[in-house]
Amino acid sequence: MNDRRSFLFGALAVPLLTAVGPWQLMRKATAAAAQDPVPITMLGTPRGERVWFEPQGLWVAIGQTVRFINKDPANVHSATTFHPDLYGHERRIPAKAKAWNSDLLLPDAHFDVTLQIPGVYDYYCLPHLAHGMVGRIVVGTPEDVGWTEEPYYQSSQLEGQRGTFPEVQALLTKRVSPTHQ
Amino acid sequence: MLSYSRIAAFSICSVFAACAYSGDKTTADMAPPSAPYAKVSSLVKLPDFIPGLGTLYVAPETLPAGPFLGYDKDGRLSATIYMIPIKALTEGTAWNELKTGAAEVDSVDIYYNAGHPGVEEPHVHVVLFHDDMARQRLESK
Repeated sequence: MNDRRSFLFGALAVPLLTAVGPWQLMRKATAAAAQDPVPITMLGTPRGERVWFEPQGLWVAIGQTVRFINKDPANVHSATTFHPDLYGHERRIPAKAKAWNSDLLLPDAHFDVTLQIPGVYDYYCLPHLAHGMVGRIVVGTPEDVGWTEEPYYQSSQLEGQRGTFPEVQALLTKRVSPTHQ
Repeated sequence: MLSYSRIAAFSICSVFAACAYSGDKTTADMAPPSAPYAKVSSLVKLPDFIPGLGTLYVAPETLPAGPFLGYDKDGRLSATIYMIPIKALTEGTAWNELKTGAAEVDSVDIYYNAGHPGVEEPHVHVVLFHDDMARQRLESK
């Protein structure tokens, strides 16, 4: 019976792979992966001594959806872009991008945002900016149409506040996020 | 004429009596405490039950220091919590004669907190546990 199943699988799989081609299968898999939101979790120690985004820095392709999830059972968090429309902060997202704000998320709640404009997005947690709970997402690359050089991401320090952003070049080079220190 | 020993005994009794009544008599051993106390999760966006602190009630006019009253999942008063902003403390602000939720205090924890709605700046939690099992009850998830 098992031999017969193996034979049938082989008989069906070989023509299928030949017809569709491995590249097409890979492209389909990549497209499916791109549609899945990339998670960024909001975390804290049990007593709230430390709070952070994990990963703190992330590179994603244009059009990728990012999901912020609060996994801190003892606190609420937000993912809020630095923008004059939101609490009067200086802009730290691409000029053509819309500001976004998850507002406060209770434990296990989440917020999705799809990033269509290439560039650097800096964000923070509303109740924890004073603590330096900030994060950075790089969308696309400087070679993409629409990417503009901006002074705000030349420095990894947040002026007048605690909080340090991962270097843009490091995120672009590795295309993976550094772990939280 | 009162002897020194009687005066001393009277003084000690007075101190014990004062301690016995140092708890805030507007609060309750069981949730919910009476007004002006209000559930913290109804005032700001926070979980109803916070592991380590319990279900919190506070009189809004006492913010940010409190006292916050922490109740366990059965509604039993288990802790009194004060939240002291570090910046104000270092600038010389003092908080005096803060009420306690109950007179009996078994142990005290003091630790840093990065902030949360209601007390957003970095501050210190001073947690008075009212019995020897209170900490365990408040940790329960």
